[in-house]
Amino acid sequence: MANAKQISVFVDNKPNQLTGVMALLKDSGINVRALSLADTSDFGILRMVVNDTDKAEKVLKNASYAVTVTEIVAITIPDSPGQLSRVLDILGAENVNLEYLYAFTGASDKSVSFVIRVDDIKHASDALTKGGIIQLTEQDLSD
Amino acid sequence: MANYWNQEIECMPYEDMKKLQSERLVAQVKHVYENVEYYRNLMDEKGVKPEDIQSVDDLHKLPFLTKADLRDAYPYGLLAKPLSDCVRIQSTSGTTGKRVVAFYTQNDIELWENCCARAIVAAGGTKDDVCQVAYGYGLFTGGPGLNGGSHKVGCLTLPMSSGNTERQIGFMRDLGSTILCCTPSYAAYIGETLHEMGLTPDDISLKAGIFGAEPWTEEMRKSIEASLDIKAYDIYGLTETSGPGVSFECCEQTGMHINEDHFIPEIIDPETGEVLPEGEVGELVFTSITKEAFPLLRYRTRDLCVLSRKKCSCGRTLIKMRKPMGRSDDMLIIRGVNVFPSQIETVLIEQGYSPNYLIEVDRVNNTDTLDISVEMNPEQFSDKMKVMQEKEKALALAIKTMLGINPKVHLVSPKSITRSEGKAVRVIDKRKLHD
Repeated sequence: MANAKQISVFVDNKPNQLTGVMALLKDSGINVRALSLADTSDFGILRMVVNDTDKAEKVLKNASYAVTVTEIVAITIPDSPGQLSRVLDILGAENVNLEYLYAFTGASDKSVSFVIRVDDIKHASDALTKGGIIQLTEQDLSD
Repeated sequence: MANYWNQEIECMPYEDMKKLQSERLVAQVKHVYENVEYYRNLMDEKGVKPEDIQSVDDLHKLPFLTKADLRDAYPYGLLAKPLSDCVRIQSTSGTTGKRVVAFYTQNDIELWENCCARAIVAAGGTKDDVCQVAYGYGLFTGGPGLNGGSHKVGCLTLPMSSGNTERQIGFMRDLGSTILCCTPSYAAYIGETLHEMGLTPDDISLKAGIFGAEPWTEEMRKSIEASLDIKAYDIYGLTETSGPGVSFECCEQTGMHINEDHFIPEIIDPETGEVLPEGEVGELVFTSITKEAFPLLRYRTRDLCVLSRKKCSCGRTLIKMRKPMGRSDDMLIIRGVNVFPSQIETVLIEQGYSPNYLIEVDRVNNTDTLDISVEMNPEQFSDKMKVMQEKEKALALAIKTMLGINPKVHLVSPKSITRSEGKAVRVIDKRKLHD
């Protein structure tokens, strides 16, 4: 099973920057499944999970964007109190260092999904599997 | 094996060159004194008569000319020939204030084109070469100068002028251009575009480039040489003396040989005007000893530079000037520190960033601020904010180490800084707007 992938794009912290990226994705028929934007006063890092990472990478690179694709862990958990805390406990117990995470809509209204960025994917993934947490594959996210 | 356009002159022993220069100088001073009232007045004020100038050793007795004189005398005040004897006008790009117009007789054009021919031959050019001139044509001297030199050498000349970069590359491929002449910033852009088009240097036949008209660094040379797989040679000149070809680089690529049979160089202390000995840094001054229509004597270029008569492996004996460290006009004084944009460019290329950058200087609460926008290198991009901020900090620190002042570095998107097809605009000094 292939780990889920995230595509990150360098955007200037100026009006209409996000619009440019979204218009390109729209024109290529790419669906954005998850999105987060981290920003400084100069620039932002737009991180996305899309249904076709390879195509998105190609389209954005052709338009001269700085783009990087990284593997991430994507999980889906029940939408109820204490669920994320349980995930963090599992990772904490294994000493997995978390770079960042962000939430996105789950497969049903009873669930919620998260993108988790860690350095050691395998380590995190094994720990989550052992802890009974459902992970999404690249295949799951491309549907 | 080195090639020369005019071996007798280019390899002349210095004693003979000095004799030639002295003869020409004496005649030139007389010509100017008789025909240019403006300079005659300057000489009279200083109490110098043409007879006081007997050889190059007397050069220091003559008064200087500055850009301000050219402005005062605009347009005809420094003309030494009747307009009916002139065949051409060229003009400065006007990047630093008012335009300067220069006049040429047929002989002036001839000598200028021969100077450019020396540069092309020194870069390996022969009549078998295809020379693509991508300097601007028109009033700017870049295009016409190299175009003329290329004709003299007998190269198949492609008078492209600047701009329309994909078409430049298209012609380069179709017609097998072997030599490219343009500004270094445009050469870098052509290289970038070539790779963007999915091509490599294997798809073109370029072997050499002759780049000038703006200051550029060794790091930029290396980066252009790598992206186009060529040898990149520097060429120097200014409209006031004729245009490109006042000096040019040879295979050694360690400075430019000055065509001193036409232009006598001096290095002076910019503060006192005192002539400095060989090897010291100072302002470069040129005396045109053969030009007829617009013969400037002791013209202060504002370029800071060093001269050297060290023996060159190419066999030329013409004195060499090091790449100017910057035109004193380009020098910024920020919080009392002298800053040349070329210093910042050096750091950027060393750190793996593109040589497209924008320097903005302003004054906030009576303190100078230095903001540098730098294009993100896609290879170095990371999705981790921590990594990106460290990159920004590392770059700011490297620049601080070079300049001694703290800049604010702004990473911006690739290709978001306007590319130049001619002279690049890299500095915006907003302090001037407040004055």
